[in-house]
Amino acid sequence: MITVTIDGKKPPLTYPKLKTVLQLLANLNLRVNDALIIREGELLTPDRHLRPGDHVTVRMVMSRG
Amino acid sequence: MKCKRCGELAAVKLPSHHAGFCPDCFEVFFKRQAETAIRRHGMIKPGEKVLVAVSGGKDSLALMRVLTDLGHDVDGLHVHLGIPDSSDPVCERTEAYCQENGFRLHVLRTAEVGLAIPEVKDAVHRPICAVCGKIKRHYFNRFAYENGYTALATGHNLDDEVARLFANTLRWDAAYLSSQGPTLPGEGRFVRKIKPLYRLTEFETAAYCFLKGINHWKAACPYSGGASFTGHKKLFADLEDRSPGQKTAFYEAFLAQGRPHFKGASRGEGQDTLYACAQCGFPSSGEVCGVCRVRELVAKRKGEAD
Repeated sequence: MITVTIDGKKPPLTYPKLKTVLQLLANLNLRVNDALIIREGELLTPDRHLRPGDHVTVRMVMSRG
Repeated sequence: MKCKRCGELAAVKLPSHHAGFCPDCFEVFFKRQAETAIRRHGMIKPGEKVLVAVSGGKDSLALMRVLTDLGHDVDGLHVHLGIPDSSDPVCERTEAYCQENGFRLHVLRTAEVGLAIPEVKDAVHRPICAVCGKIKRHYFNRFAYENGYTALATGHNLDDEVARLFANTLRWDAAYLSSQGPTLPGEGRFVRKIKPLYRLTEFETAAYCFLKGINHWKAACPYSGGASFTGHKKLFADLEDRSPGQKTAFYEAFLAQGRPHFKGASRGEGQDTLYACAQCGFPSSGEVCGVCRVRELVAKRKGEAD
């Protein structure tokens, strides 16, 4: 299971099967540069693999005023 | 994905540059983009003092950081808007970040000049974001002018500039198109306005803040119904996704080939002449500037309420 938190919102989303960051972005209907994808304090590029048990933070980059 | 410069594992993918960068090389890339903007558009001359408009968001804090790292003499100005549950924590976070990093930060409280934004909101019959923007622009410029800064730097990024250019183009607003650009020369009591991050996207400033540990404010203003030009930004994000590099191409081509055609465009009959405001002395299209008029409205409403 992969746990995904978007901009600190609760509850987080969970995905049983996600292989890569690109798949996560597609699931969230996001483009490559719409959000920072963060795991354990590290930024991930779309080709990076996700592992079961990962906690991923999605931080949207567009200003909200 | 490997870093284009050093071959290490990349942390940031930038399709518009056909590149990926590791954290260290991304910082080099980011600084070079700002440096190029400053050099190509004559933004800062050696020895000039620059005031940075610091909202506390990612763009303004990234700007403060990169200008300092590039060796420029910068101070920040944060305008405290007096909005309950918002302005105090934003100001505290911004002050803390600047203190930790050795940045000089001035704070101007609009409530102390009769313009607390909640009172302004109650006194005017126009969208508050437009009035608030006018007040902030006035005080950023005024503070810079009165305190000997040559230039006022804002954190506008490529997405902001492209969205604004697109909006101006949709209306064929010749006057705005004539003056849109990364540098607006100083004149009279207007100091030079510069946008050193105009070659960098929102994604890039967000990534820079993350990698540099810049703890910026993330929540939206409670009075904002959403950032301006959000729809235009989404449209261009789609274009960019399909064809990376479109945003830069659109904006740079405008600067090189489009803008010259709008040079000297009029704002309309009687709108081009500026006078000194009878109250504050700063440039105004009428006898009293818009900010002083708003202050009068606020004072009048408060007087009525008392």
